[in-house]
Amino acid sequence: MTINKIFIIILFISLIQAFSNNTYAVEPDEILKNQIQELRARNISKNIRCMICQNQSIDESNAALAKDLRILIRNKIQEGKKDEEIYKFLTDRYGDFILLKPPFKLSTLALWVLPFIFLIIGIFVIFFHNRKSKKI
Amino acid sequence: MKKQLLIIPSILFLLILLALFYLLIIERNPSELPSNLLNKNVPKFETESLLKSKKFVSTKEFGNEVVLVNFFATWCKPCRDEHFYIQRFANEKGIRIVGINYKDNPKKTIRWLKNLGNPYSDVPIDKNGRIAIDWGVYGIPETFIINSKGIIKYRHVGPITKKMYRKINLLIKEIE
Repeated sequence: MTINKIFIIILFISLIQAFSNNTYAVEPDEILKNQIQELRARNISKNIRCMICQNQSIDESNAALAKDLRILIRNKIQEGKKDEEIYKFLTDRYGDFILLKPPFKLSTLALWVLPFIFLIIGIFVIFFHNRKSKKI
Repeated sequence: MKKQLLIIPSILFLLILLALFYLLIIERNPSELPSNLLNKNVPKFETESLLKSKKFVSTKEFGNEVVLVNFFATWCKPCRDEHFYIQRFANEKGIRIVGINYKDNPKKTIRWLKNLGNPYSDVPIDKNGRIAIDWGVYGIPETFIINSKGIIKYRHVGPITKKMYRKINLLIKEIE
C-alpha cells in the first residue's frame, strides 16, 4: 500500500468519526415535544460535563446524575429560562468544571493564550533560523 | 555570548521537569474537586423527614452549631462502610449529623438504621436527587462540614476512612 492510500483511508475514518453524531444517551421519555426547545436542551447538554464520567458530556452519558441534569435542563427550558441562566445555575453548584469548554477569564488566561504565544515564538525561531542558514 | 544563551532552553526544560516531578510526588488527588459551595451558605431546601412527622426546613436547622451533612443511601455500599465512622462522630464527639437520604426507599432506610444504628439527628428525604444537585453532589457518599453560621466549610467526596475521620475531626476543632 502506498503512503497515499494509507492517508486516504485515515482521512475517511476521521471523516466518519467527525460526522457520526449518533452517540447520545437521551432517552425517549426525556425528549420534549417542542423541537426548538429540545434542540436547545441538546445543545446545552453537549457542553455540560458528566461529573461522574468526567470526559463525557451529559448528552452522551448514561449515568444517573447525567439523566437527572438532562431532565433538569429541560424543565428549566420549559419554565422559560434562558441558556445563560441554565449555565449559571449549573456552574453555581458544580463550578466551571461542569463546562466541557473552560470559560475565558483571568484564571484561565494562561490556558487560552499560551498556545498562541508558543506559536509566535515558534514562528520567530524558524524565521531567524532560516535567515541564518541562508547566509552560510 | 551566543553560546551561553543556548543553555536557556535546557534550563527551562529542566525547570518544567522539576515542576512536573514535584506535582507527581506530593500527596494529592488529581480527581478531587473543591466544592463550588465552599464558604457559601447552605442551600435552602424543605423536605419530608424520615424520622419526624414535621418537615425538615434547612433555614431552621443550620446556623446554631457545627453540623455534619452526610448524603447516604441504603443501596450504596461505601455508605455502609463509612457508617461506623459516622456513628463515632455522633457518639464519641457528640456532633450533630444530618443524613440526607438520597433516592432511597423509606422502609429500607428505617430498617437499615435499626440494624446498623442511627447516628443522625434528622434524616431529610431527597427523593429524586434535586437537593443533592443544589449541593453540587455528584456521587454519594459525600460529607459536608457546616459551621455555626450555616456556612459550608469543607466537602469530602467518597466514604469516610480512618484517615478522613481524623482529618475531619481536626477540621471540626478548627472550625469550632
